[in-house]
Order: sequence, then C-alpha cells, then structure tokens
Amino acid sequence: MSWQWFHRLGSPRWFYHNSARWLAWLCPIAAAVVLGGLVWGLAIAPEDAKQGNSFRIIYLHVPASFLALAGYYIMAIAGAVGLIWKMKLSYMVMKSAAPIGAALTFIALFSGAIWGKPTWGTYWVWDARITSMLILLFLYLGVMALQYAYHSIDAASKAGAILGLVGTVNIPIIYKSVDWWFTLHQPATIKFTSAPSMHPDMFQPLLVMIVGFYLFYAVALILHTRSEILRRERKTSWVRELLNEKNQDVADKKVGKS
Amino acid sequence: MKMYFASFQDLLTMDGHGIYVWSTVIVTLLIMIWLLVAPILSRRALLKEVARDILRERARQTSPTNTQGES
Repeated sequence: MSWQWFHRLGSPRWFYHNSARWLAWLCPIAAAVVLGGLVWGLAIAPEDAKQGNSFRIIYLHVPASFLALAGYYIMAIAGAVGLIWKMKLSYMVMKSAAPIGAALTFIALFSGAIWGKPTWGTYWVWDARITSMLILLFLYLGVMALQYAYHSIDAASKAGAILGLVGTVNIPIIYKSVDWWFTLHQPATIKFTSAPSMHPDMFQPLLVMIVGFYLFYAVALILHTRSEILRRERKTSWVRELLNEKNQDVADKKVGKS
Repeated sequence: MKMYFASFQDLLTMDGHGIYVWSTVIVTLLIMIWLLVAPILSRRALLKEVARDILRERARQTSPTNTQGES
C-alpha cells in the first residue's frame, strides 16, 4: 500500500505544476456549461405560471446557494485535514475557499433579495433561511479576517480551521430551516429523495446551471490556490527555478526570432 | 430549442420583470468574473516580484562594488 499519492497531493509544488494542465480543459468546459445553461434558463425555458419571468432568477440563486454550502464543506474539511495531518496545501485550499464562498453566499443573498421584491413584495425579511445564510456569510468573512489577524501563518491557519469547523453547526440549520421554521422562504425545490417539484423544461436548465457552478467553483478554487501557493512559497528554490525556466524560455524565443 | 420570447425586446423587458432578472444576472456575472480575475492578477504580481528579487540578487553578486564579496 503506497501513500505516495497522499503526500504528493499535499505538495504545493506538485499541485502548482499539475493544476495548470487541469485548468486548460476545465476552464473552457466550465464557461460553456455556465453560459449554455444561462441562455437556456433565461431565454428558452418557459415562464412560471404563478411568478412569471421573475422565477428565472432561480437559475443563479439556487446554484449559487448550492455552492455557498458545498464550498463551506470544502473549506471546513480542508481546515480539518490541515489540523490533523499538518498539510500545508490543505490550509492554502482553506484560505482560498473563504473568499469564493463569501462571494457565492453574497450572490445567493443578493439574488434572493431581488427575487423577493416582485414575489414577496419585499427585499428582505428575517426569515430563518435568509438569516442562517447571512450567518454563513459572516462565518466566511470571519475565516477570511482570521487569515490576516496573525503574524504567523501557522497560527492564522489553525484559527481559521477551528472557526470553520465550529461553523459547520450552521450548515444543517440552513438545510432544515425551511422545514423547521416555515415562514416565507419556499421549501427545497430539489430533493434527493423525491422527484423535483418543477416541470422538466424548467428543471433541466437548472441542473445544467448547478453542474456549471460546480465547475466554475473548481476553476476559481484552483486559481486562488495557485496564487496562494506562490505567495507562501515565493522564497523557495522551486519557485525560483520555475522563473528561471520561464526566463530561459523567453530568452530562447527571443534568440530564435532574431 | 426555441426562444420562449417572441422578440429580443420581450427578452429584455420580461413583462416588467426584466429589471429584476437582468440586474441579478449582471451583478452575479461581475462577481464571478472578479473571482477569476483577482487570483490571476495577484499571481502575476507575485511572479514579477520574485523575478525582481532574482535580478537584484544577481546584480549584487556580479557588481564590483559588492561589499559582501570583499569581506
């Protein structure tokens, strides 16, 4: 039994070198799925019988909310892996996941507020789902703030990981909030245990958008992690070698041209 | 696969809901683009910083007024 893959996965250098290759095919696929799903949802899907066209906000609201929650798992798990196995790369992923999750939570709240105006007649209510999502935003912002609150990167990472883990208490509350305190926010449209409460013509583009947001999230997380790797490892010899190789390439090209 | 709306104008107005839908789309896409552009810019700045450090070190090593080398 070889643990080599595990150690390699924990190596920032290995990740930095290989992630460039992953991005090369992940970026175009993510862009195509998101834009395709958006056109499908906004222009081709039929309008909702009760809500009219305002329901089309669902094609951004639901995928963003999905990833705001899934991103929190990723951040918390990355933090836990960092705490348990002292894996540097894991902490870098955790730090990178925080601003992306915060932005997606903001999109979920913002799109929900805009959607609320024509549907509920108000931008904001202190409904359980909305309030627990706002707490999620503050948890993300808290993890981000902790990254800058310490001089030592190690202490900042540990503090962020602990806050992230404590905050996971909020996740089941968000999921269950629409059932426990049924006030204004509608219950889940998509459940794993039953058929969706949506017509297939409306549901299919939503599925495409959810897949698209997962792909987008992967691209964003890899990009942020790459930049974080470089920030923390810029004094190391492998980063210097990387630049020397690049300079050599540029110099070779220049010589070749002239 | 046909457009649900009769015209491009209808797609924009969406029976009065266009302002809600399109403002959400624009804000969301701007945030998503920022999420991609920000790390690319910071990575570039870091690479430049490292390149500058390397050049500075090289200049210090080869410079004749190098005090470190003489001592």
